[in-house]
Amino acid sequence: MIQPTNIVELKYMLKSQIIEELNLEGIKPEDIQDEAPLFVEGLGLDSIDALELVVLMEKYYGVRIPDEIVGRKVLQSINTMAEYIQEETAKTK
Amino acid sequence: MKILITGIGAVSAIGLDAKENLRSLKSGNTGIRKSPAFDLMMGEVNLTNEQIVQRLDLPNKDYSRTTLLALLAAKEAWGSQKPHPRVRTGLVSSTSVGGLDLMEKYYFESLNDKSSNAFTLMTHDNGRTTEWIAGGLGISGTIDTISTACSSGANAIMHGARLIAGNKLDRVIVGGCDPIVQFDIRGFSSLNIYDPEICKPFDDARNGLNLGEGAGFLILENEHSISLTGTSPIGLLAGWNNSTDAFHQTASSTDGKGAYLAMSNALAKAELTPGMIDYINAHGTGTGNNDLSESMALKSVFGDSMPAFSSTKGFTGHTLAAAGAIEAVYCVMSIQSQAFLPNLNFSVPMKETRLTPETVFRPDMHVRHVLSNSFGFGGNCTCLIFSKVN
Amino acid sequence: MRITASSTISHQPTFRRKGFSTELSELKQYSDLIAPDYTPIIPAMDRRRMSEVLKMGIACSMDCLEQAALTQPGAIIIGTSMGCGTHTRTFLDKIFSSNGRLISPTSFIFSTHNSIAGQISLHLKNHSYNITHTQNSLSFEHALLDGSLCIQDGLRNVLVGGADELEQALFDMNTRLNHKELLSACGASFFILSGEDDATASVNLVDVESHGLIDGISDRIIEFLKSNNRSVEDIDLLLYSNSDQKTVDELRRIFGQQRLFDYQKLSGTWFTNSAFAMGYAVDMLSQTSHPLYETNLTTVLVCNNLVPENLGLILLDNMNP
Repeated sequence: MIQPTNIVELKYMLKSQIIEELNLEGIKPEDIQDEAPLFVEGLGLDSIDALELVVLMEKYYGVRIPDEIVGRKVLQSINTMAEYIQEETAKTK
Repeated sequence: MKILITGIGAVSAIGLDAKENLRSLKSGNTGIRKSPAFDLMMGEVNLTNEQIVQRLDLPNKDYSRTTLLALLAAKEAWGSQKPHPRVRTGLVSSTSVGGLDLMEKYYFESLNDKSSNAFTLMTHDNGRTTEWIAGGLGISGTIDTISTACSSGANAIMHGARLIAGNKLDRVIVGGCDPIVQFDIRGFSSLNIYDPEICKPFDDARNGLNLGEGAGFLILENEHSISLTGTSPIGLLAGWNNSTDAFHQTASSTDGKGAYLAMSNALAKAELTPGMIDYINAHGTGTGNNDLSESMALKSVFGDSMPAFSSTKGFTGHTLAAAGAIEAVYCVMSIQSQAFLPNLNFSVPMKETRLTPETVFRPDMHVRHVLSNSFGFGGNCTCLIFSKVN
Repeated sequence: MRITASSTISHQPTFRRKGFSTELSELKQYSDLIAPDYTPIIPAMDRRRMSEVLKMGIACSMDCLEQAALTQPGAIIIGTSMGCGTHTRTFLDKIFSSNGRLISPTSFIFSTHNSIAGQISLHLKNHSYNITHTQNSLSFEHALLDGSLCIQDGLRNVLVGGADELEQALFDMNTRLNHKELLSACGASFFILSGEDDATASVNLVDVESHGLIDGISDRIIEFLKSNNRSVEDIDLLLYSNSDQKTVDELRRIFGQQRLFDYQKLSGTWFTNSAFAMGYAVDMLSQTSHPLYETNLTTVLVCNNLVPENLGLILLDNMNP
């Protein structure tokens, strides 16, 4: 698993991974705001992307999203995703 | 032109022929259990490939399980019928898996040993698995395969009927077949819609689908064919329609527009009003999305006069391409038995619709017209209507 | 029935080029697909998930609708042999490399054969009849037959297409097994069928048939022509695909060398390349004169015998009904 040294680095890595895994053409990490909504507005992701993000969290950070209710909260923005990763990673230490 | 049904055959987790399937439906015994191979609840057919090859007395070859399941059901439906020089006969099958089971079996081999690569790539071809079925039945000429995911079987039946109605054929073997493969297990799991327990179609606490495998086949004939083959019709395919939801690749729209269009247009084709339907065999996979969407569509069509309905997927699991065909066989048997078929594992109606399916096998009903739904990925919605022959 | 639109993407310059049939030369080994720029046709958020066959399907469909001045087709019918082969392969690879961990679902979602037809309907928000036929080398003929049944049923503006992605490994193996050089290629050809009453179109689909698991093709060809009140002499051009020299010699004997042409020399080889042949024929029949043929072409027969035991026949003309 990749271990970013701080939250800024984590957020940057997340953005790069999202761009790659979701095939977001012509978008750079700098274009994604930390607090901007990921779904419907902002990046305009859809339900298929939501499933892809669940896989991404597990693949790169070993972190599980157990159900849709948790998913809705966690996948709102880069900020919420990064916070969840830090919380869950801290639990397993 | 009347499209008459003169043969049925079915193999699933609840029976190796149509009669055995009916006995299970009557007794309420599900075929869904924990698979030792895959550690998941699923509706497996109780025969290995080797056992099917022996049962059918086939030459010893590496067949796709798709073809083997299909041959069991198709041969049952075909029965003792024979080719006839003045009866134009064809085969319209359907599958979503095709030869993918063989591709999985030989996956690692195919990476290392290039000579097996061609075989595995060729066997993925859906059409080839149908050609093997045709060969097994002695059919040549019009041989076709439909592949529209979970509505495939119903679409194959519809296409066969249209070939007869369009005066291209007089008699056609129609149906669908799919085995359980890792591809689908991992696929549906990746979509988070696989119920770890036995599925609960139309229940408020439903949690997803279970996979199943099997095949269903019917023989459709026109009156010209029957006059020459001497078969007796056991049902009538009165109406059909295929329409598209156009909402999402995998999810159905909240109002069930595609389903509504398919049902309304099929009723119009059959020249029936909603009130004339006695029983509905629903698609009812047990997923949150399908069962809600289908319920909304049912309410739009039938209003406050909802006929008896059920999903039989609690018995068989979701048999994908085979579903529409196996369930067509069940609809014919519902008419033959004059019975409503049960929906297993139901206890609490959905709060959005309050619809309650039939939960036990109910004989001695008046069953003249039966409606069957099948919906697939790509928003593909098909409705078939079966009627009693006078 | 009339053909009111025709659109082909292939390894030749065919897309949005009226009269392309007069400009083609024989395909070379190891050619590439000449795909259009999909950017103006398909939004980036949709395009990012699509394999080539899905993009080809949408591009050809939009082109056809534009040609026929339509916003919606009356039905969408596809013939494809391998469907979304790349998505299928990707998901399969993921299964065997994932060690039981969660797999990303996108490849699975788009792996069904009917994704091509499904994505077209989603792109257009079209609710009409939508079917996919997959019967290897006869997939397109079955789709076309289905389309003609729709027209018989009273539907209009039926969109019918044949499409397949490149399946390189299959053809490499075929070449090794059969000791033949095959020009492996891929493509999509789409058409809009309308009823007899459409005066805007000049080319007719007279009839289509498909025969599977047969032995010998000549009698069936003659029977097909007879059932359409045609004789061998009425055929100005026979476009064929066949790898068996004996059968080619027989066709030569029946039709004469001048009227025969192996369309695979232009299209390359893939299971649904008879759709290319139809697109080529429609383009030729739309021309008032053609550099390769001295007299005007009025009737063309496509004879698809790519797989020896399968025969697809498509009869086209440009005569007023």
